[in-house]
Amino acid sequence: MSSNLLELDGLNKAFGGNQVITSLTLKLEEGHVSSLVGPNGAGKTTIFNLITGFVSPDSGRVRYAGKDVTGSSPQDLKERGLVRTFQNLRLFLDMTVFENVLVSLERMLRGRARARLERVRTKEVLTRVGLWEVRDVKASELSYAEKKFLSIARAMASGARCLLLDEPASGLDGPSRTLFHELMREFKANGQTVLLIEHNLDIVREVSDSIVFLDRGNIVASGTAEEIFSDPELSERYFGV
Amino acid sequence: MISYIENIATMLSISMILAWSLNIMVGYAGIFSVMHAVFYGVGAYVGAQYAIHVSAEFIVVAAVAMPATAAVAFLLTVPVLRVREEYFVVAAVGYQMVATTVFITWQSGTGGMGGLAGIPPATFFGVMLIDPRAYLALSAGCAVLCILGLNLLLRSPFGRALKALRDDETAAIALGKRPIRLRLVATSIAGGLAGLAGVLYAFYVSYINPESFTLDYSVLLLAMVIIGGAGTLIGPALGAIFITVFPALLNFLEVPNSILGPLQQVIYGSVIVMLMLFMPDGLYSAGRLLRKGTGKLAATLGVGGSSQ
Repeated sequence: MSSNLLELDGLNKAFGGNQVITSLTLKLEEGHVSSLVGPNGAGKTTIFNLITGFVSPDSGRVRYAGKDVTGSSPQDLKERGLVRTFQNLRLFLDMTVFENVLVSLERMLRGRARARLERVRTKEVLTRVGLWEVRDVKASELSYAEKKFLSIARAMASGARCLLLDEPASGLDGPSRTLFHELMREFKANGQTVLLIEHNLDIVREVSDSIVFLDRGNIVASGTAEEIFSDPELSERYFGV
Repeated sequence: MISYIENIATMLSISMILAWSLNIMVGYAGIFSVMHAVFYGVGAYVGAQYAIHVSAEFIVVAAVAMPATAAVAFLLTVPVLRVREEYFVVAAVGYQMVATTVFITWQSGTGGMGGLAGIPPATFFGVMLIDPRAYLALSAGCAVLCILGLNLLLRSPFGRALKALRDDETAAIALGKRPIRLRLVATSIAGGLAGLAGVLYAFYVSYINPESFTLDYSVLLLAMVIIGGAGTLIGPALGAIFITVFPALLNFLEVPNSILGPLQQVIYGSVIVMLMLFMPDGLYSAGRLLRKGTGKLAATLGVGGSSQ
């Protein structure tokens, strides 16, 4: 029987009197890829911020791996294996590709063995996303697709149990898209849980086990890709078909 | 003439240590501090008092003054690290004002406005450093150790975390870095190194008073870092060379003495403005600009790496 790794229970958040998230309840099954879709301003990124501790909810609880983590700091949540990326990537632009990944997984105080392990892991991850050859290049000099994969690599490196990826695939072309699909499959095979925000509905359809459709801070519909995309009302109102 | 150059070189070594230490805060931890002369002063006074009353053995004095200054830097920064940028600058000005007042009025600790005189010459493993050249060697040696140490520090996980923080604080937080903790450690290290510079200075001049540790000097140190290139290893050293050596060179201007002083100030100030206008990334970027310039020239002339 599968269990829920992440549970959002009755979350509310308002910014300056503007209700962004309303009584949001959501469960993410461990080892599944779930996607948040919806128009701009639906509150998708706010949900990421609420889950990862960057923003505190006005009310409601966040439970992760069976524990109430409402109000935990982003750093504590990262320690517990909850890692996110950002829509605008937020790479360390003045650092090399290698440093970008290494810094995301290394500890301040560690012995030689652990330090070596960190470097081995960095190499593994960079090789997997096809960036090992450019490891000494500054992040600012990468192509758009390379930047996207570096951002994913940074999140992957620490062996996260739950990955929250904010528009990781939008703008990716053929081969990059294939690589993205492979990574998603590997995350699933490893038992990692993924929550995606993605505008590219083809990708959402291809990789998601479940989809949550949001509008103005409310869940309008949720279900499998088939259920969501065959819903005539959603299709008419949002997908323009 | 030789002793004049020795004097400049010794002061330059001390300035470089100060600029490098301030660069940890400004260039890596993203803290715009205009109170670095406070740490410099604390190091000088603690070092001087210890040398006068206990021992003038340089290593021992440094081993006392550096942690003391680091502790002061830590304690002063704890309450204000939650504020950043312009707010921190204002808080730092406040600290500088308080510290200057303490330096001026605390007779038993600092000698007040009259200063602390009679600081004995430093000894180095029992050898008294009376020859200015020996002292220059010690100061330069400390500067070299300082840059080697900083180089190691910046290649350590701590250094990478600081750089990550500087590049994108939100992403660094998301990856588990703790900005306040990192900045406190950075400030303490910077304070400790400024304390070392203070000890070197106190032994060198054998008499210190509050005039060496003013807000003016804090601003000048910040100028060294920015003019040279914040966030680089070499930049602050270039800035220190510029700020220390350039005014000395202006002494050789062949103009009547009556206008030499004001003329020096005008030239010095104008050059600083020009540098910031044309080299906002600091002197450090001169090499890059030069390469770009020669590259363009080569392309225009149709030579070099042109693919035509």
